[in-house]
Amino acid sequence: MTTDENELLSALVDGELRGRELDKAMVLLGKDPSAKDRLQRYQISRDAFHGYGTKQQALATQKISAAILLEARHKPANLKAVDKTNVISLPIRFWQQTLSLAVAASIGALAVVGVMTQPNTQLVPIMPMAAMESTQVLESLGTTVVASKAVALPLNSGNRWTVEEQEIEDRLNIYLVDHNEYAGVSDIFSNARVVAYESGQ
Amino acid sequence: MHNLIKLYLVLCLGLSSAYSYAEDSEAIVLLKKMGLAAKKLNYDGVFTYQTGAKLQAIRIIHKNNKKGEVERLLSLNGAARELVRTNDIVTCIFPEGKQVNVDRRPLGRGFPSDLLSRLGSATPYYDISLGEVARVADRSAKKLLVTPSDNYRYGYHLWVDEDTDLLLQSNLLAHGGVVLERFAFSSIKLGVDIPDSLLQPQIIGQELTWVRNKTEPVNKLKITQEALKKGLVWEVDWLPLGFTLVAEQSRRKAQDGTLVEQRVYSDGLSSLSVFIEKRNQGHRHLEGISTMGAINAFGMIAPIHFLTVVGQVPARTVEKVGHSIKLVNY
Repeated sequence: MTTDENELLSALVDGELRGRELDKAMVLLGKDPSAKDRLQRYQISRDAFHGYGTKQQALATQKISAAILLEARHKPANLKAVDKTNVISLPIRFWQQTLSLAVAASIGALAVVGVMTQPNTQLVPIMPMAAMESTQVLESLGTTVVASKAVALPLNSGNRWTVEEQEIEDRLNIYLVDHNEYAGVSDIFSNARVVAYESGQ
Repeated sequence: MHNLIKLYLVLCLGLSSAYSYAEDSEAIVLLKKMGLAAKKLNYDGVFTYQTGAKLQAIRIIHKNNKKGEVERLLSLNGAARELVRTNDIVTCIFPEGKQVNVDRRPLGRGFPSDLLSRLGSATPYYDISLGEVARVADRSAKKLLVTPSDNYRYGYHLWVDEDTDLLLQSNLLAHGGVVLERFAFSSIKLGVDIPDSLLQPQIIGQELTWVRNKTEPVNKLKITQEALKKGLVWEVDWLPLGFTLVAEQSRRKAQDGTLVEQRVYSDGLSSLSVFIEKRNQGHRHLEGISTMGAINAFGMIAPIHFLTVVGQVPARTVEKVGHSIKLVNY
């Protein structure tokens, strides 16, 4: 794909295309399978950038991409965005208390009336390439990372501030170093964020 | 018979809670020891820092002697970046920007020394318990589970070395158990002799421009009096339960002498900072939320100040705190 085509898809995701440009993007999506993949990646990246990271929102993202692709096949000039769903989840405390109650009841030889399981609200989407990269680096280091219950890392967290202005980024970095003095429980690692900071977009 | 059943149930529940309390106490003691170990031990290791799609390998060398703490972190993949801390001086070296910043911390390092005294205040807001023993960096480690009571703070899964109490792995968890950040040692040498040469920056000589930020501490009382005269005192009106002011400092930036005030609030385990910076005309600032790994920032532009909340807390927390900052009328 050419740079122009990439920019076209990026602008489509950002909702900046009108008229001829929009038609052009639709034609591109209709004829080039790699353009569809790229569009979906842009959509996921854009949502991650804006902090939409839950499973439901990822599904909504997929719906948007699917809608765009469908429109590209059938109605090139008439796009509609799908609203993102709101996420409602019960507090983790509720589930802990429920579980504790069930355990206490079993100790007392009481009949457990009902068993409730914790909902799966963990994020699923992970970039396959990133996962491969991570695995390779970990293997090369011979690390033995202990997996916790949730091993998926959400897309909306990167090691660079989600801002566009260099001046703002610099200011936030100064603040970050200052704040690291009070990083809390994982203090030993807090400055890793500074060292690991990406140098470019 | 009915009374016997009641008694049996009470005993069972009592024993269960007593066991739970004992376990929690042990977990808190371990957490305290962990804070001390990070300060006192000498170690040289490599850990990975994973957030989102990014993975970085970082070498850390830490030495503690009569002169205090010296620590050096060096990125092992991507561009060479270093951070060297010598007690209250932090040196960040970023060859890409061809710049080195040296910052002196007027308050010194805040948490490691303060952590022990603050842990007690954190316990109402977290469930702290012991998990199973696991293996990290070829060492046996006890797992600590730190679960917040609300979604204004993050939780942690921590793996602490059984022999030395050093933190070997930390998973930072968002609400619902999602891992936002993971730090994990892949190899570590503990209790070794650390020569001073290992603590010197190794990327000197790559056409770096050294900038010494002489950020001198400002007389807080004087600043407050001046602010009061002008009616420019900002107050944070809302904080998550348990968060209190634990430190504050006012400094002038080396580049332009801009006054920056930092107030640190903590519940004992999590913390956030409120930065109040004099606004320079023509300069831009964050408006809304920005995220970097598990760190969230919320910025606002007031008529004469840039207001920013930065913390290792969820976005909703920095946003709510940010919106609560208001000018106090005197």
